Amino acid sequence: MKIPRIRLLLAVACVLLMSAGSALADLVVVVNARSGVAAMTRNEVINVFFGRYRQFFNGLEAQPVDLVDSHPDRAHFYAGLVGKDLSDVNAYWSRQVFSGRMQAPPRLNTPEEVLKWVSSHPGGIGFVELSKADARVRVVYELTP
Amino acid sequence: MNILPSRSTEFSCRNNSGVRALLSGLLALLLAGPALAEDESNLTFQGFGTLGAVQTSTNEAEFVRDLSQPKGATNHLDGRVDSILGLQANWRLSPELEAVVQAVSRYRYDKTFWPEISWAYLKYDPTPQLSLRAGRLGTEFFMTADSRQVGYSYLTVRPPGDYFWYLPFYSINGADAVLTLPVGEDVLRGKIYYGVSEGQIPYGDKQWKLDGSAMVGGYLDYQVGSWLLRASYANIRFNHDMPIDDVLTTYLAPSQVESARRFLAADNTRSHYYSVGAIYDNGPWQLQILLNKITQGSRIFQSSSAGYVLAGYRIAQVTPYLGFSWIRSETRDSTHNPVLDAIMAESHAHQNTSILGARWDVARNIALKAQWDAIRGEPKSVFPVRGEKPDWSGKMGVYSLTMDFVF
Repeated sequence: MKIPRIRLLLAVACVLLMSAGSALADLVVVVNARSGVAAMTRNEVINVFFGRYRQFFNGLEAQPVDLVDSHPDRAHFYAGLVGKDLSDVNAYWSRQVFSGRMQAPPRLNTPEEVLKWVSSHPGGIGFVELSKADARVRVVYELTP
Repeated sequence: MNILPSRSTEFSCRNNSGVRALLSGLLALLLAGPALAEDESNLTFQGFGTLGAVQTSTNEAEFVRDLSQPKGATNHLDGRVDSILGLQANWRLSPELEAVVQAVSRYRYDKTFWPEISWAYLKYDPTPQLSLRAGRLGTEFFMTADSRQVGYSYLTVRPPGDYFWYLPFYSINGADAVLTLPVGEDVLRGKIYYGVSEGQIPYGDKQWKLDGSAMVGGYLDYQVGSWLLRASYANIRFNHDMPIDDVLTTYLAPSQVESARRFLAADNTRSHYYSVGAIYDNGPWQLQILLNKITQGSRIFQSSSAGYVLAGYRIAQVTPYLGFSWIRSETRDSTHNPVLDAIMAESHAHQNTSILGARWDVARNIALKAQWDAIRGEPKSVFPVRGEKPDWSGKMGVYSLTMDFVF
């Protein structure tokens, strides 16, 4: 029983170290290009993605979209934004969901789906690698590691 | 078996069938779930649960999670105190309108795990700032109180008892409104609610009924960066007396019973709940400081002050934590009647608890926790425990292991 646990811990540690290294991959927060939003602060991004306040400065309702746990960008995004492990983020959402306060943002499988979602919702907001952000969306925040 | 046994009034009977209808509705939804969920993404099913084992250092008294539990853990392993299963169905009818039903099975006042509908409400969000709910709702007397059954959502094995023990109120039938306003980059949030309570509290072999007790309250939250600050207030007007009639008739002269009953009446008295709290949540750090004050309107309960501090720091997938909680209740003046004094002394609480534990996020959506609580109180601190024996010292070690999950 002892050995698999240690192996698991080691594996977890490796994953953590790897993700710490590749967290430098430039993730950016993008919004619908026609939303009228040009830039956001870190706290505004946190407020939207954690459901604290989901409205842009111009009154448009923010419609955040997330990635599935298995996509590495998700762990990088929350590590870079709030320094949190995905377990903490998921625990946060279980508190919101099961207290009936709100639902978590929808979770998509790929960055391409995120781009499609953001460009097809007026208040759409998501995160992708900088190199994937195209004309359909506008970059409003760059994650600084 | 009735879902809500020992109800007798007409109101309760109607209520009972309503609960039954909701439960069978939920069951039908769950059975139809997999088929529906694929076509209809507006309907989601989620669940949470805890498998817990707890053992204490003594058999002088039984350790319970809160006042709603009739029996608790002793120096034998107990699986009842912390084990919980909850299922929730959310149905989004439109972008603004959502229906939510949650059923929870846990060890409750009648010594069963019979499931209860903890919430069943409609939620209407006309704007991003305003959220309105009506139906059966969770109570949020104190910060985080409305998610205290969801072990996965917090750090400790259970919410610190000294602070939360006195909250057996899980749900109300009523309505609430939340207003959220931005203040620069900070967020101000206010909530008000009103409703009629549900539930029962075990008292000896009997139940103290809470149904029909009107509850009103609200809070103000201020989120500034990683800090969440809250001040809250609530009150409840109880609708039933404590079930002490047989004690009074057994130990008092017949001529004294009526005046004793009036003296100890809980019916139509109001209790007030005040609290302030601060939660810091940033990177690997989690800090919580919460304080409360409860002013009881009846003589059978003692007013109290309580609080806790908790700190956790995540290292990879393991988060060790350290906490300290306390409760002090105010003994009322002696009535010079030993029977009345004895009944009033049963709501006395005077103890501290040191908490040491660790949460291990062992897999996605599964957490294992191990925790040691060192309860140090006066022998007269009998309100927080069950079945205390004459040799109860007020001191108890509590050893807990839990597995929390969400799905």
